[in-house]
Amino acid sequence: MITVTPNALSDSPNKMDLTNIPPEQIALDIKGLNLYYADKQALHDITMSIPKGQVTAFIGPSGCGKSTLLRCINRMNDLVDICKVTGEINLHGENIYGSQIDVAALRRKVGMVFQRPNPFPKSIYENVVYGVRIAGEKNRRNLDDIVEKSLRSAALWNEVKDRLHESALGLSGGQQQRLVIARAIAIEPEVLLLDEPTSALDPISTLTIEELINDLKKQFTVVIVTHNMQQAARVSDQTAFMYMGELIEYSDTNTLFTTPLKKKTEDYITGRYG
Amino acid sequence: MALATKSAGIRQLKNSLAQWLITLGGIGVLFTLILIFMYLLYVIKPIFDSATVEPLANISIESSSPILVTGVDELKELAYIINEQGVIDFYQLKDNKAFIGSEEHQAVGNNLLSIELLAANETLKQLISSGVDHQLLLTEQGYVHLIRPTFTASYQDDLREIIPHVIYPLGEDVLVVDEQEQMIEKLAFMKNDEQAMFVGFTQDGRLIKTTLVAEDDFSYDAEYEAIYQEINFSAADVDDILITPDMDMAFVRSGNQVSVFSLDDEYSVDLKDKIIPNLANDEIITSMALLSGGSSLLIGTSGGEVSQWFEISTVNGRVFKQVRTFSASSSEAISQIYTEQFRKSFYTITPSGEMGLFYTTSHADLWRGQLIDSRPSTMAIAPRADGLILISPVQSTVNNNTFNLLLFAVENEHPEVTWQALWQEVWYEGYPEPDYIWQSTSGTDDFEGKFSLVPITFGTMKAAFYAMLFAVPIALTAAIYTAYFMTPGLRKKVKPTIEMMEALPTVILGFLAGLWLAPIIENYLPAIGLLLIFLPLSTLLTALAWHNLPKEWKNKIPETWAPILLIPVMILAAYSAFSLSPILESYFFGGDVRQFITNDIGISFDQRNALVVGIAMGFAVIPTIFSMAEDAIFSVPGHLTSGSLALGATQWQTLVKVILLTASPGIFSAVMMGLGRAVGETMIVLMATGNTPILDWSIFQGMRTLAANIAVEMPESEVGSSHYRILFLAAFVLFVFTFIFNTVAEFIRQHLRAKYSSM
Repeated sequence: MITVTPNALSDSPNKMDLTNIPPEQIALDIKGLNLYYADKQALHDITMSIPKGQVTAFIGPSGCGKSTLLRCINRMNDLVDICKVTGEINLHGENIYGSQIDVAALRRKVGMVFQRPNPFPKSIYENVVYGVRIAGEKNRRNLDDIVEKSLRSAALWNEVKDRLHESALGLSGGQQQRLVIARAIAIEPEVLLLDEPTSALDPISTLTIEELINDLKKQFTVVIVTHNMQQAARVSDQTAFMYMGELIEYSDTNTLFTTPLKKKTEDYITGRYG
Repeated sequence: MALATKSAGIRQLKNSLAQWLITLGGIGVLFTLILIFMYLLYVIKPIFDSATVEPLANISIESSSPILVTGVDELKELAYIINEQGVIDFYQLKDNKAFIGSEEHQAVGNNLLSIELLAANETLKQLISSGVDHQLLLTEQGYVHLIRPTFTASYQDDLREIIPHVIYPLGEDVLVVDEQEQMIEKLAFMKNDEQAMFVGFTQDGRLIKTTLVAEDDFSYDAEYEAIYQEINFSAADVDDILITPDMDMAFVRSGNQVSVFSLDDEYSVDLKDKIIPNLANDEIITSMALLSGGSSLLIGTSGGEVSQWFEISTVNGRVFKQVRTFSASSSEAISQIYTEQFRKSFYTITPSGEMGLFYTTSHADLWRGQLIDSRPSTMAIAPRADGLILISPVQSTVNNNTFNLLLFAVENEHPEVTWQALWQEVWYEGYPEPDYIWQSTSGTDDFEGKFSLVPITFGTMKAAFYAMLFAVPIALTAAIYTAYFMTPGLRKKVKPTIEMMEALPTVILGFLAGLWLAPIIENYLPAIGLLLIFLPLSTLLTALAWHNLPKEWKNKIPETWAPILLIPVMILAAYSAFSLSPILESYFFGGDVRQFITNDIGISFDQRNALVVGIAMGFAVIPTIFSMAEDAIFSVPGHLTSGSLALGATQWQTLVKVILLTASPGIFSAVMMGLGRAVGETMIVLMATGNTPILDWSIFQGMRTLAANIAVEMPESEVGSSHYRILFLAAFVLFVFTFIFNTVAEFIRQHLRAKYSSM
């Protein structure tokens, strides 16, 4: 049973040949990526190119490796001691797993938003400028500008502009998640990774975030992991379907949801498993 | 359905039972706390009570001539009077006691015994009381007798009998005080078992000193040899003469000037000092008395003031100095000063009978009042300082031979303790200046307890400060490392190990600190300084080396155990510090650091010092702080860490800006818990501080803490004494300390938690 809304399908942008994107339009180029947790292999030989300025969604059943793949892109897996990665992920033609890479600098280029809203126990203002301050910005006016711009981009400004210096923990879940997005885009990354950003939110907040994602792709390359297929269909331009650590099918969203090439994809999107 | 109802009923029962038990427990804890507080306050309260004087007995007595002196026995059961005719009469003051045996003697006011001390033709000129109930009788005829009214208790048929009688300590013969047998105008007297000393002023204007040296011992043999000396002194008249109990000094007052003579030289009596009080125009000295112990002179003036004088060391040697002044009466002269025998209290009395009770050291104004309408004929303080006996003439009688003998009970247990004396500088006898001193006991009997809580409160702070200085950096960095950087496998072993340290009995830590660590620190002092540099340095160098180690090498050592590599490095660093110590000592400190510190820097060095205590108590406090801080840091949610890292923060930035901030309420609690433990810790400070109650921040000096002070002195303090109650006060202060610490800590913690706690 296909549950994709016709509206979403018609919104799908001009189709791309994902196997042959011109290099200047590639945001991330993943080549032969394998990931092991100790002896267990979690990602098998992933090769894909993520186009610039578009929303790419990773879908698949729980445990398929979609979040793991996302975390590879800004090397969040480094935090796991037993995790080992082979293969390449290229950002501007530079392998982020290269030996000379400064992980902190990489993460400033590849921002990430997590499943659960995780504002710091600080004021709204301090949350937004956190990354900028870390990067060394001290000028108060610049910081003020960044806060306003980021909060506006995250569609939160009007709601919080009068209480910027109150604790971020006083915001609702949906507001917190938008704050976290504002925080992530304050450092002006090139790529924004969203790891199931709406799974802990109510439907109204989800809708707001989804609208926000649509706006964000004007500025950033967005990669989103979701287990909600409707969401993937609604917000993404490209969709990758993963299963058991393998990339099964990767094409534009419209194609993937209407005429999947692989049997497994069809089974999944029609709800046979997952 | 029935089953459901039944189980619901049981559940409800359990629920309410639990609710009751929990409430009961809570109230119980609160109640116990209040009970402890109340008990402490109950024990402490009497030391701040002021003195009371209550009438006890009033007996009408007959005497054919004016009464010169009175006295009372220790239990205030019998009193005596001596009148101008030289008759001593003993009176009964209490009922229902079997005195002298026969029934007629058992009523209050009975004259029990009457002895004529003088021959029929003699009358008394002056009566001099000194020592324990010694009465020196100086007659108009120029004879001198020494008597001592005594009260002997004996038990017959389980009844105590007190038998009054008079003894003659220097024999019944007339004493020859002046070699030239002139009439004596004024006479002072002091006696112990070896000798008796007189200083007198004769009618022909000579000041004489006469010493009767016992051939054996006056306590069982009245044989003596007399030494007569004349003192170089010229004055028209002498008003008062006093001899100190140790027979070292005599105070001779003529007019407004007091000459102090040194009596300790056998051959000559020298003028030692002259006391000339600063008096207002028409003011004169009206009375003089020696304070208990004989070190202080009290001078009463016509202006109603009493000043205390004692010798202090100055650049010009020891001189008498006016130390404090009491305003005893606003309008009248001080006609007489009576001092207590064992304490530094004194009574003043004015011509109209206005009385005051004061304590010198604490500068306490204890009681003021008027017990009778006029100045009493004579007055005496009961031997235990718990009573006053007054003789007042009854004016209405025709021939003036009826007197009232009044006995008062004095409740004045703790005159030396006032709030000011406990917390402010006090000028003690013989000290050059006011100071904060805790010294509760001493070898001598006439010692005065010095109870300033300042040095021991300070010691508590100092010990806690140095312990925290040692413990906080180590415990917190260890907690940060363990919680944030250590691999889970190693953490699982390290954390319980450090927590085990908490179970170590502090008596062992104190024992090791005092007997093992203190000598090591003393002998290898430079090594301790070197360790402060070597340990962090070697750790950092090892970390750097590890960082730059080729990957193949690193992989050979499992990451879990990599930190263990530090252990040999640190042992090596410590070893080298200790081996370098003697070399450093001989090159830079002239071979002995202790001497260098004492002589060249001028700081005194104790073996049991704050450094030892800091390390030992720090060791005891570390597990407390570590355990709580580690929990706080470890429980910072992982998604905050990820959030920070994902924003391009390094691990270090994440730690400082997010982790520590979020964990701050917990870390703060941990530090406060450590502080609370350090303040209340007893065994370690008891064994490793040297227990010297001094006020000095120096790391090389010891201290005494409130807790250790209680532990040291409680066993030796007499129950109910000022000392005992002050120890309870110290406990109370300690209690209040921890109470304040905990309250402030909790308040700040709540505040931090409201601000920084995450989801």
